[in-house]
Amino acid sequence: MQLPLNEIALFMTDFLALFGVYLIVTISLNIQRGLAGIPQFGLMFAIAGGAYITGNMATRIAVWILGIKTDLDPVIDCTAVLSMVNPMLNTQPMTSFILILIYLAIGATFGAVLGLIQVAPAIRLREDYLAITLLAFAEIINVIATAYKPLLGGAFGVQVPSVYGWAGGYRYGVATLAILVIAAISYLYAEYLERTPLGRTLKAIRENEVAAASLGKSLVKYRAIAIVIGSALCGMAGTLWTLYGEYVTPTYTRFYWTFLPWLMVLLGGIGSNRGALLGTAIFVALDKLIIYYKHSFEAFLPFDVVWLDYILLGIITAIILIYRPQGLLPERPYIPKDIRKRIEEKIKQF
Amino acid sequence: MGWVSKVEIISLGTLISALTWSSILSLMAIGITLLYRTTKVPNFAHASFVTTGVYSATIVSLMGFHPYLGMFLGFILGGLEGLVLFYAILEPLRRRRSSIFILMIATLSYDILLYGLLNVLADDLQTTYKILARMIYYSRLDFSIGGVPGVAVISLLALITTVILLYILLNRTTLGVALRACMENTALAQTLGINVSLMLLFSWFIAGGIAGVAGALLPFYTMCGPYIGMLYIAEMFCASILGGLDQIYGAPLGGFLIGFAKVALISVLASFVGPWITEYAPIIPLAAMAVALVLVPKGLVAIKIRRG
Repeated sequence: MQLPLNEIALFMTDFLALFGVYLIVTISLNIQRGLAGIPQFGLMFAIAGGAYITGNMATRIAVWILGIKTDLDPVIDCTAVLSMVNPMLNTQPMTSFILILIYLAIGATFGAVLGLIQVAPAIRLREDYLAITLLAFAEIINVIATAYKPLLGGAFGVQVPSVYGWAGGYRYGVATLAILVIAAISYLYAEYLERTPLGRTLKAIRENEVAAASLGKSLVKYRAIAIVIGSALCGMAGTLWTLYGEYVTPTYTRFYWTFLPWLMVLLGGIGSNRGALLGTAIFVALDKLIIYYKHSFEAFLPFDVVWLDYILLGIITAIILIYRPQGLLPERPYIPKDIRKRIEEKIKQF
Repeated sequence: MGWVSKVEIISLGTLISALTWSSILSLMAIGITLLYRTTKVPNFAHASFVTTGVYSATIVSLMGFHPYLGMFLGFILGGLEGLVLFYAILEPLRRRRSSIFILMIATLSYDILLYGLLNVLADDLQTTYKILARMIYYSRLDFSIGGVPGVAVISLLALITTVILLYILLNRTTLGVALRACMENTALAQTLGINVSLMLLFSWFIAGGIAGVAGALLPFYTMCGPYIGMLYIAEMFCASILGGLDQIYGAPLGGFLIGFAKVALISVLASFVGPWITEYAPIIPLAAMAVALVLVPKGLVAIKIRRG
């Protein structure tokens, strides 16, 4: 029997791309909640922000960099403009590469700004008020994106330049690779951040706000730093996902872009990056398998399988919370090498 | 003066619409505030409790009764959902002394679960009864009193009745006094022999029930689907926070301020800058909440108490 290699390759690319994007998001959540203790229930805000700003700016910037002269609006008439942009990009891998970097920078910056706006009203307040504010603010982004036509052309969305088009048949492979590279960098950055003085300060604030404040650590300042870092990562995730699909509509939902990342981090263990990696892999694999085998389910279910997804995930979360709140790979205390050595010496002395 | 005549553009209809929305929103917010007072957790599952009310009205109307009677079914079903959430998920977590943050995620996950179930129900109603179960709107079944749509009267009456009953319950009955004791000081209430977890269970039933009643009124005001609770959850919290999360009777105050700001103020704005602005109406409650959080994080009711 011959294996359907093409199908497997397609499945793997699809899986890895989604996995990479979600990994960036869960790492971001781990920095915001795991390190700094911010109950970020509005992750969707910065992700959608990154995606929408890319949808709005991408074609504009590509037109400008390629030096195309046109009177058409790059958002409303995106198809016409892109029919000029894409053939040029397909022959210029270097320009495409520079464009990707520019888009990522824009996505990250915009995400960070949105994060600050989102947290501003409640940054001094208690956990519960903070959570409500973050969740409530995240809900407005789709209102604006749908109502303000010049942003994404309304509810139907907008196409973005095909920056991976030069790779021909391998474009999705290359796009996935780009996502995975950024995800790997985010992961390593989060691991590094944990070992820096900043990371330790964030943890101290998470563990005991009053004690940290009494040592002169400003709650507002460090919360803002954590939100900015996390939201910038989320913005990049939105940008990457838009570039991968070459299309964006104002349909980022709380379920997929806030609740699922939370669930992944909870399953893996809050505050542990290895946990985030494991949780993300498990949930993305589950999601992809459910979509892949959707038709075989549909035969004996009288409703859309999507809803089964919601029901199961709701139950799974409750079970994790009740029976394994620390997650599969809980956070381990990190003790720097020199301190560990000093402790061992002290033990020997006694 | 040009602007005076423009202000008069807010018709009676707009004011009545604002009144209706304020009453329904207040009903939703009361439950959130009540639960925050008793269990100290912001209940994100309130969204689905409200949607349950919408489908209670649908079910009642499919059974051949007037959809207004859905309020009673909504009260029972919403209350039961509250019971299940507390008893099956929150109580085990509380016994493990989980943090508020874990409890918040638990309510969020229960909301997702209910959202899935409500969608299954909508699909089922659609195929079994051949109705548009994702576009529920009962405005044409509504009665009218001298041009005023019935839903305005009924929702205001429902709100007043709820507030009065809640007041009697909390202040004139032993059960209510015990419940208030739990709100004020859980540990002390326990030492006095009050079954705290039973009291909390009771508060979840009441709050879920009130949300169900509000939901049953909603299809008379606007087009509803399984998403409707999620659409308004941010606004419910805005009303609740504006009134003060620690004050049960603050919720109607917040509800009316936000309801009128959203419906009446936006229509005044629209007459000045053009009708396009109405699409941005959902931003008004959030802006109000942001201002309230910065200026009076304890809510509007707190100001009055401090000065009085």
